[in-house]
Amino acid sequence: MKETFYITKSGTLRRKDNNIVFENSDGTEVFLKSEKMDELYLFGEIDLNTRLLNFLSQMGITLNVFNYYGYYSGSYYPRESKVSGYLLVEQVKTQIDLPRRMKIAKEIVCSAARNIYRNLRYYNKREVDLSVAMSEIEYFISKIDEMENINSLMGIEGNIRKIYYDQWTKIIKQDVEFEKRVKRPPDNMVNTLISFLNSMMYTTVLSEIYKTQLNPTVSFLHEPGNKRFSLALDIAEIFKPLIVDRMIFSMLNKKQITKSHFIDKSRGLELTDVGLKILLGEYENRLKKVLKHKGLKREVSYRYLIRLECYKLMKSVIGEKRLRRF
Amino acid sequence: MYVILIYDIKTDEKSPRIHRNIFKICKKYLTNVQKSVFEGELSRAEELKLKMELKPFIRKDKDSIVIFKSRSNKWLDKEFWAMEDDKTSNII
Repeated sequence: MKETFYITKSGTLRRKDNNIVFENSDGTEVFLKSEKMDELYLFGEIDLNTRLLNFLSQMGITLNVFNYYGYYSGSYYPRESKVSGYLLVEQVKTQIDLPRRMKIAKEIVCSAARNIYRNLRYYNKREVDLSVAMSEIEYFISKIDEMENINSLMGIEGNIRKIYYDQWTKIIKQDVEFEKRVKRPPDNMVNTLISFLNSMMYTTVLSEIYKTQLNPTVSFLHEPGNKRFSLALDIAEIFKPLIVDRMIFSMLNKKQITKSHFIDKSRGLELTDVGLKILLGEYENRLKKVLKHKGLKREVSYRYLIRLECYKLMKSVIGEKRLRRF
Repeated sequence: MYVILIYDIKTDEKSPRIHRNIFKICKKYLTNVQKSVFEGELSRAEELKLKMELKPFIRKDKDSIVIFKSRSNKWLDKEFWAMEDDKTSNII
Protein backbone atom coordinates (compact mmCIF):
# COMPACT_ATOMS: atom_id res chain seq x y z
CA MET A 1 0.00 0.00 0.00
CA LYS A 2 1.29 3.39 -0.97
CA GLU A 3 1.10 6.07 1.67
CA THR A 4 -0.39 9.52 1.99
CA PHE A 5 1.44 12.37 3.65
CA TYR A 6 -0.17 15.42 5.22
CA ILE A 7 1.74 18.59 5.99
CA THR A 8 0.01 20.95 8.37
CA LYS A 9 3.01 23.10 9.24
CA SER A 10 4.57 25.87 7.22
CA GLY A 11 7.97 25.63 5.61
CA THR A 12 9.77 24.60 2.44
CA LEU A 13 9.36 21.48 0.40
CA ARG A 14 12.36 20.52 -1.72
CA ARG A 15 13.87 17.69 -3.66
CA LYS A 16 16.99 16.36 -2.02
CA ASP A 17 18.88 13.07 -2.42
CA ASN A 18 16.23 11.89 -4.89
CA ASN A 19 13.78 12.23 -2.10
CA ILE A 20 11.39 14.83 -0.79
CA VAL A 21 12.40 16.82 2.23
CA PHE A 22 10.21 19.15 4.25
CA GLU A 23 12.07 21.91 6.01
CA ASN A 24 10.27 23.39 8.95
CA SER A 25 10.33 27.12 9.48
CA ASP A 26 12.75 26.52 12.38
CA GLY A 27 15.17 24.71 10.05
CA THR A 28 14.60 21.08 11.03
CA GLU A 29 14.35 18.68 8.14
CA VAL A 30 11.91 15.82 7.82
CA PHE A 31 12.43 13.33 5.02
CA LEU A 32 9.31 11.90 3.43
CA LYS A 33 9.44 8.52 1.77
CA SER A 34 9.27 9.34 -1.93
CA GLU A 35 9.18 5.72 -3.06
CA LYS A 36 6.25 4.96 -0.83
CA MET A 37 4.33 8.15 -1.47
CA ASP A 38 1.13 8.30 -3.40
CA GLU A 39 -0.44 11.56 -2.37
CA LEU A 40 0.72 14.68 -0.63
CA TYR A 41 -1.64 17.09 1.10
CA LEU A 42 -0.49 20.61 1.91
CA PHE A 43 -2.35 22.58 4.56
CA GLY A 44 0.35 24.98 5.68
CA GLU A 45 2.03 27.79 3.81
CA ILE A 46 4.66 26.00 1.84
CA ASP A 47 7.31 27.15 -0.60
CA LEU A 48 8.20 24.81 -3.38
CA ASN A 49 9.91 24.90 -6.74
CA THR A 50 9.55 23.31 -10.17
CA ARG A 51 12.35 20.88 -9.40
CA LEU A 52 10.07 19.39 -6.80
CA LEU A 53 7.10 19.37 -9.15
CA ASN A 54 9.19 17.57 -11.78
CA PHE A 55 10.21 15.03 -9.23
CA LEU A 56 6.61 14.53 -8.08
CA SER A 57 5.57 13.91 -11.68
CA GLN A 58 8.35 11.44 -12.13
CA MET A 59 7.34 9.54 -9.04
CA GLY A 60 3.64 9.73 -9.90
CA ILE A 61 2.67 11.64 -6.78
CA THR A 62 -0.45 13.80 -6.68
CA LEU A 63 -0.15 17.05 -4.79
CA ASN A 64 -3.31 18.48 -3.21
CA VAL A 65 -3.31 22.03 -1.97
CA PHE A 66 -5.65 23.48 0.63
CA ASN A 67 -5.90 27.17 1.37
CA TYR A 68 -5.56 29.06 4.62
CA TYR A 69 -9.17 28.37 5.54
CA GLY A 70 -8.83 24.65 4.91
CA TYR A 71 -10.72 24.65 1.62
CA TYR A 72 -9.52 22.66 -1.35
CA SER A 73 -7.68 24.87 -3.83
CA GLY A 74 -6.43 22.42 -6.41
CA SER A 75 -4.17 19.58 -7.32
CA TYR A 76 -0.99 19.10 -9.23
CA TYR A 77 -0.93 15.71 -10.82
CA PRO A 78 1.53 13.94 -13.07
CA ARG A 79 1.10 14.11 -16.80
CA GLU A 80 -1.76 11.83 -17.64
CA SER A 81 -0.30 8.40 -18.24
CA LYS A 82 -3.52 6.48 -18.22
CA VAL A 83 -5.35 7.85 -21.20
CA SER A 84 -7.82 6.05 -23.33
CA GLY A 85 -9.47 7.82 -26.23
CA TYR A 86 -11.91 4.98 -26.61
CA LEU A 87 -13.12 5.28 -23.04
CA LEU A 88 -13.37 9.07 -23.29
CA VAL A 89 -15.54 8.79 -26.39
CA GLU A 90 -17.75 6.23 -24.70
CA GLN A 91 -17.95 8.32 -21.55
CA VAL A 92 -19.08 11.36 -23.50
CA LYS A 93 -21.52 9.28 -25.54
CA THR A 94 -23.08 7.98 -22.35
CA GLN A 95 -23.24 11.47 -20.93
CA ILE A 96 -25.18 12.96 -23.86
CA ASP A 97 -27.50 10.00 -24.22
CA LEU A 98 -30.13 10.97 -21.62
CA PRO A 99 -31.62 7.53 -20.89
CA ARG A 100 -28.15 6.05 -20.36
CA ARG A 101 -27.03 9.01 -18.31
CA MET A 102 -30.15 8.75 -16.17
CA LYS A 103 -29.47 5.10 -15.51
CA ILE A 104 -26.05 5.88 -14.08
CA ALA A 105 -27.23 8.98 -12.22
CA LYS A 106 -30.04 6.97 -10.62
CA GLU A 107 -27.62 4.30 -9.47
CA ILE A 108 -25.43 6.97 -7.88
CA VAL A 109 -28.33 8.62 -6.04
CA CYS A 110 -29.63 5.23 -5.01
CA SER A 111 -26.26 4.09 -3.64
CA ALA A 112 -25.90 7.30 -1.69
CA ALA A 113 -29.43 7.02 -0.33
CA ARG A 114 -28.92 3.39 0.66
CA ASN A 115 -25.77 4.31 2.51
CA ILE A 116 -27.63 7.11 4.29
CA TYR A 117 -30.36 4.67 5.18
CA ARG A 118 -27.78 2.25 6.57
CA ASN A 119 -26.33 4.95 8.79
CA LEU A 120 -29.76 5.72 10.20
CA ARG A 121 -30.53 2.04 10.67
CA TYR A 122 -27.34 1.68 12.67
CA TYR A 123 -28.27 4.45 15.09
CA ASN A 124 -31.96 3.62 15.14
CA LYS A 125 -32.96 2.06 18.47
CA ARG A 126 -29.34 2.24 19.60
CA GLU A 127 -29.89 5.66 21.04
CA VAL A 128 -32.97 7.12 19.48
CA ASP A 129 -35.92 6.28 17.37
CA LEU A 130 -35.29 7.24 13.76
CA SER A 131 -37.91 5.03 12.18
CA VAL A 132 -40.01 7.92 10.86
CA ALA A 133 -37.06 9.35 8.94
CA MET A 134 -36.14 5.90 7.75
CA SER A 135 -39.52 5.22 6.26
CA GLU A 136 -39.54 8.66 4.63
CA ILE A 137 -36.21 7.94 3.02
CA GLU A 138 -37.43 4.55 1.91
CA TYR A 139 -40.36 6.25 0.24
CA PHE A 140 -38.05 8.58 -1.66
CA ILE A 141 -35.76 5.72 -2.67
CA SER A 142 -38.75 3.96 -4.23
CA LYS A 143 -39.47 7.13 -6.18
CA ILE A 144 -35.98 7.32 -7.71
CA ASP A 145 -36.79 4.95 -10.54
CA GLU A 146 -39.72 7.05 -11.71
CA MET A 147 -37.70 10.18 -12.25
CA GLU A 148 -37.32 11.26 -15.83
CA ASN A 149 -34.78 14.05 -15.71
CA ILE A 150 -31.72 15.05 -13.77
CA ASN A 151 -33.37 17.99 -12.02
CA SER A 152 -36.13 15.96 -10.44
CA LEU A 153 -33.56 13.36 -9.47
CA MET A 154 -31.50 16.03 -7.78
CA GLY A 155 -34.67 17.15 -6.03
CA ILE A 156 -35.17 13.69 -4.57
CA GLU A 157 -31.56 13.65 -3.50
CA GLY A 158 -32.05 17.02 -1.80
CA ASN A 159 -35.12 15.78 0.03
CA ILE A 160 -33.31 12.72 1.29
CA ARG A 161 -30.41 14.81 2.52
CA LYS A 162 -32.73 17.23 4.28
CA ILE A 163 -34.47 14.46 6.19
CA TYR A 164 -31.11 12.94 6.96
CA TYR A 165 -29.54 16.12 8.28
CA ASP A 166 -32.60 16.75 10.44
CA GLN A 167 -31.77 13.59 12.38
CA TRP A 168 -28.20 14.55 13.14
CA THR A 169 -28.82 16.29 16.43
CA LYS A 170 -30.54 13.13 17.62
CA ILE A 171 -27.62 10.93 16.62
CA ILE A 172 -24.88 13.13 17.99
CA LYS A 173 -24.63 12.84 21.75
CA GLN A 174 -22.52 15.92 22.23
CA ASP A 175 -24.41 19.15 22.65
CA VAL A 176 -24.17 20.64 19.18
CA GLU A 177 -26.22 23.11 17.31
CA PHE A 178 -26.92 21.85 13.86
CA GLU A 179 -30.10 22.99 12.28
CA LYS A 180 -29.26 22.84 8.65
CA ARG A 181 -26.37 22.53 6.32
CA VAL A 182 -24.65 25.90 5.95
CA LYS A 183 -21.73 26.46 3.63
CA ARG A 184 -19.57 29.44 2.74
CA PRO A 185 -18.71 29.83 5.53
CA PRO A 186 -19.85 26.97 7.76
CA ASP A 187 -21.30 28.47 10.93
CA ASN A 188 -21.02 25.69 13.47
CA MET A 189 -18.96 22.68 14.48
CA VAL A 190 -20.86 20.08 12.51
CA ASN A 191 -21.00 22.20 9.37
CA THR A 192 -17.28 22.87 9.56
CA LEU A 193 -16.58 19.17 9.91
CA ILE A 194 -18.84 18.29 7.00
CA SER A 195 -17.29 20.94 4.78
CA PHE A 196 -13.75 19.97 5.56
CA LEU A 197 -14.22 16.23 5.31
CA ASN A 198 -16.30 16.47 2.15
CA SER A 199 -13.48 18.30 0.45
CA MET A 200 -11.05 15.64 1.67
CA MET A 201 -13.36 12.99 0.26
CA TYR A 202 -13.54 14.86 -3.01
CA THR A 203 -9.76 14.95 -3.40
CA THR A 204 -9.40 11.31 -2.45
CA VAL A 205 -11.93 10.34 -5.09
CA LEU A 206 -10.18 12.57 -7.60
CA SER A 207 -6.83 10.89 -7.00
CA GLU A 208 -8.45 7.52 -7.42
CA ILE A 209 -10.05 8.64 -10.69
CA TYR A 210 -6.60 9.66 -11.92
CA LYS A 211 -5.49 6.08 -11.47
CA THR A 212 -8.12 4.95 -13.95
CA GLN A 213 -8.76 5.94 -17.54
CA LEU A 214 -11.89 7.90 -16.70
CA ASN A 215 -12.03 11.58 -17.49
CA PRO A 216 -12.81 13.47 -14.27
CA THR A 217 -14.63 16.33 -15.99
CA VAL A 218 -17.40 14.33 -17.63
CA SER A 219 -19.96 13.56 -14.97
CA PHE A 220 -23.39 11.99 -14.93
CA LEU A 221 -25.33 13.15 -11.90
CA HIS A 222 -23.90 16.63 -11.58
CA GLU A 223 -23.86 18.79 -14.69
CA PRO A 224 -20.40 18.61 -16.19
CA GLY A 225 -19.32 22.16 -15.54
CA ASN A 226 -16.21 24.11 -16.17
CA LYS A 227 -13.31 24.48 -13.80
CA ARG A 228 -14.17 21.55 -11.66
CA PHE A 229 -13.88 17.82 -11.75
CA SER A 230 -17.53 16.98 -11.43
CA LEU A 231 -17.11 13.24 -11.83
CA ALA A 232 -15.32 13.29 -8.47
CA LEU A 233 -18.43 14.93 -7.01
CA ASP A 234 -20.58 12.14 -8.44
CA ILE A 235 -18.55 9.35 -6.93
CA ALA A 236 -17.89 11.19 -3.68
CA GLU A 237 -21.67 11.31 -3.23
CA ILE A 238 -21.73 7.54 -2.74
CA PHE A 239 -18.93 7.48 -0.20
CA LYS A 240 -19.76 10.53 1.87
CA PRO A 241 -22.32 8.81 4.15
CA LEU A 242 -20.07 5.79 4.37
CA ILE A 243 -16.84 7.49 5.35
CA VAL A 244 -17.38 11.15 6.23
CA ASP A 245 -20.70 11.03 8.07
CA ARG A 246 -19.90 7.92 10.07
CA MET A 247 -16.61 9.45 11.03
CA ILE A 248 -18.28 12.64 12.26
CA PHE A 249 -20.82 10.70 14.34
CA SER A 250 -18.27 8.49 16.02
CA MET A 251 -15.74 11.25 16.64
CA LEU A 252 -18.31 13.55 18.19
CA ASN A 253 -19.91 10.78 20.23
CA LYS A 254 -16.57 9.62 21.56
CA LYS A 255 -15.65 13.25 22.23
CA GLN A 256 -12.51 12.94 20.13
CA ILE A 257 -13.49 16.30 18.70
CA THR A 258 -14.96 18.99 20.92
CA LYS A 259 -15.58 22.72 20.91
CA SER A 260 -11.98 23.29 21.99
CA HIS A 261 -10.77 22.20 18.54
CA PHE A 262 -12.40 25.13 16.80
CA ILE A 263 -11.84 28.85 16.68
CA ASP A 264 -14.43 31.38 15.75
CA LYS A 265 -13.18 33.65 13.02
CA SER A 266 -14.78 36.21 10.82
CA ARG A 267 -14.99 33.63 8.07
CA GLY A 268 -16.98 31.16 10.13
CA LEU A 269 -15.80 28.49 12.49
CA GLU A 270 -12.38 27.06 11.74
CA LEU A 271 -10.41 24.06 12.87
CA THR A 272 -7.35 24.52 15.04
CA ASP A 273 -4.05 22.80 14.20
CA VAL A 274 -4.62 20.15 16.84
CA GLY A 275 -8.13 19.52 15.55
CA LEU A 276 -6.86 19.30 11.99
CA LYS A 277 -4.27 16.70 12.95
CA ILE A 278 -6.77 14.57 14.85
CA LEU A 279 -9.14 14.72 11.93
CA LEU A 280 -6.51 13.82 9.34
CA GLY A 281 -5.28 10.91 11.43
CA GLU A 282 -8.78 9.52 11.76
CA TYR A 283 -9.56 10.08 8.09
CA GLU A 284 -6.41 8.19 7.13
CA ASN A 285 -7.40 5.31 9.42
CA ARG A 286 -10.84 5.14 7.89
CA LEU A 287 -9.47 4.91 4.36
CA LYS A 288 -7.08 2.17 5.41
CA LYS A 289 -9.83 0.16 7.06
CA VAL A 290 -10.64 -3.03 5.24
CA LEU A 291 -13.86 -4.83 4.61
CA LYS A 292 -14.69 -8.11 2.99
CA HIS A 293 -15.66 -7.62 -0.64
CA LYS A 294 -18.30 -10.14 -1.55
CA GLY A 295 -17.68 -10.12 -5.28
CA LEU A 296 -13.91 -10.29 -5.09
CA LYS A 297 -13.93 -12.62 -2.09
CA ARG A 298 -11.06 -10.83 -0.41
CA GLU A 299 -10.41 -7.90 1.85
CA VAL A 300 -10.24 -4.46 0.32
CA SER A 301 -9.60 -1.08 1.90
CA TYR A 302 -12.11 1.75 1.65
CA ARG A 303 -9.68 3.65 -0.54
CA TYR A 304 -9.49 0.76 -2.95
CA LEU A 305 -13.25 0.44 -2.84
CA ILE A 306 -13.46 3.91 -4.35
CA ARG A 307 -11.23 2.80 -7.18
CA LEU A 308 -13.34 -0.31 -7.71
CA GLU A 309 -16.34 1.97 -8.04
CA CYS A 310 -14.49 3.82 -10.80
CA TYR A 311 -13.79 0.55 -12.59
CA LYS A 312 -17.44 -0.37 -12.31
CA LEU A 313 -18.36 2.96 -13.83
CA MET A 314 -15.92 2.32 -16.69
CA LYS A 315 -17.50 -1.04 -17.39
CA SER A 316 -20.96 0.39 -17.52
CA VAL A 317 -19.82 3.24 -19.75
CA ILE A 318 -18.44 0.88 -22.36
CA GLY A 319 -21.58 -1.16 -21.98
CA GLU A 320 -19.88 -4.27 -20.75
CA LYS A 321 -21.74 -4.45 -17.50
CA ARG A 322 -24.61 -2.47 -16.03
CA LEU A 323 -23.67 -0.29 -13.10
CA ARG A 324 -25.00 -1.84 -9.96
CA ARG A 325 -25.32 0.04 -6.76
CA PHE A 326 -22.67 -0.50 -4.19
CA MET B 1 5.00 -6.52 5.30
CA TYR B 2 6.29 -4.36 8.11
CA VAL B 3 10.08 -4.19 8.34
CA ILE B 4 12.78 -2.91 10.61
CA LEU B 5 16.11 -2.39 8.89
CA ILE B 6 19.38 -1.85 10.72
CA TYR B 7 22.88 -1.56 9.36
CA ASP B 8 26.50 -1.41 10.42
CA ILE B 9 29.22 0.00 8.21
CA LYS B 10 32.79 -0.87 9.08
CA THR B 11 34.69 2.34 9.68
CA ASP B 12 37.63 2.88 7.37
CA GLU B 13 38.65 5.45 4.74
CA LYS B 14 35.85 4.40 2.38
CA SER B 15 33.08 4.18 4.93
CA PRO B 16 31.74 7.78 4.90
CA ARG B 17 30.78 7.47 1.23
CA ILE B 18 29.10 4.12 1.77
CA HIS B 19 27.32 5.30 4.86
CA ARG B 20 26.02 8.37 3.08
CA ASN B 21 24.67 6.41 0.13
CA ILE B 22 23.03 3.69 2.14
CA PHE B 23 21.40 6.25 4.39
CA LYS B 24 20.02 8.20 1.43
CA ILE B 25 18.62 5.11 -0.27
CA CYS B 26 16.95 3.71 2.83
CA LYS B 27 15.36 7.05 3.56
CA LYS B 28 13.36 6.88 0.34
CA TYR B 29 11.59 3.71 1.37
CA LEU B 30 11.51 3.76 5.15
CA THR B 31 11.32 6.14 8.07
CA ASN B 32 14.58 6.87 9.79
CA VAL B 33 13.80 6.16 13.45
CA GLN B 34 17.31 6.20 14.87
CA LYS B 35 20.77 6.75 13.42
CA SER B 36 21.06 3.46 11.54
CA VAL B 37 17.58 2.11 12.17
CA PHE B 38 14.70 2.32 9.70
CA GLU B 39 11.12 1.23 9.94
CA GLY B 40 8.11 1.00 7.68
CA GLU B 41 5.73 -0.93 5.48
CA LEU B 42 7.24 -2.48 2.33
CA SER B 43 5.76 -4.69 -0.32
CA ARG B 44 7.78 -7.60 -1.65
CA ALA B 45 8.53 -5.65 -4.83
CA GLU B 46 9.63 -2.58 -2.93
CA GLU B 47 11.86 -4.70 -0.74
CA LEU B 48 13.62 -6.16 -3.78
CA LYS B 49 13.92 -2.70 -5.32
CA LEU B 50 15.55 -1.43 -2.16
CA LYS B 51 17.89 -4.40 -2.09
CA MET B 52 18.95 -3.83 -5.69
CA GLU B 53 19.58 -0.17 -5.03
CA LEU B 54 21.74 -0.93 -2.02
CA LYS B 55 23.72 -3.69 -3.70
CA PRO B 56 26.39 -1.59 -5.46
CA PHE B 57 27.36 0.13 -2.23
CA ILE B 58 27.59 -2.68 0.25
CA ARG B 59 30.91 -4.40 0.80
CA LYS B 60 29.91 -7.97 1.37
CA ASP B 61 32.89 -8.78 3.56
CA LYS B 62 32.74 -5.73 5.80
CA ASP B 63 29.26 -4.23 6.12
CA SER B 64 26.12 -5.76 7.49
CA ILE B 65 22.45 -5.01 6.94
CA VAL B 66 19.83 -6.80 8.96
CA ILE B 67 16.16 -6.67 8.10
CA PHE B 68 13.47 -7.86 10.49
CA LYS B 69 10.17 -8.66 8.85
CA SER B 70 6.73 -8.93 10.30
CA ARG B 71 3.50 -9.60 8.46
CA SER B 72 2.03 -6.36 9.67
CA ASN B 73 2.75 -3.81 12.36
CA LYS B 74 -0.19 -5.31 14.21
CA TRP B 75 2.16 -8.13 15.19
CA LEU B 76 4.69 -5.73 16.53
CA ASP B 77 4.47 -4.18 19.97
CA LYS B 78 6.35 -0.94 19.98
CA GLU B 79 7.26 0.68 23.26
CA PHE B 80 9.20 3.76 24.06
CA TRP B 81 11.34 3.33 27.17
CA ALA B 82 12.63 6.83 27.23
CA MET B 83 11.65 9.83 25.15
CA GLU B 84 8.63 9.20 23.00
CA ASP B 85 8.75 10.44 19.44
CA ASP B 86 6.34 9.63 16.70
CA LYS B 87 8.61 9.70 13.66
CA THR B 88 6.58 7.23 11.67
CA SER B 89 3.50 9.44 11.51
CA ASN B 90 2.50 10.67 8.07
CA ILE B 91 1.00 13.85 9.44
CA ILE B 92 3.50 16.62 9.87
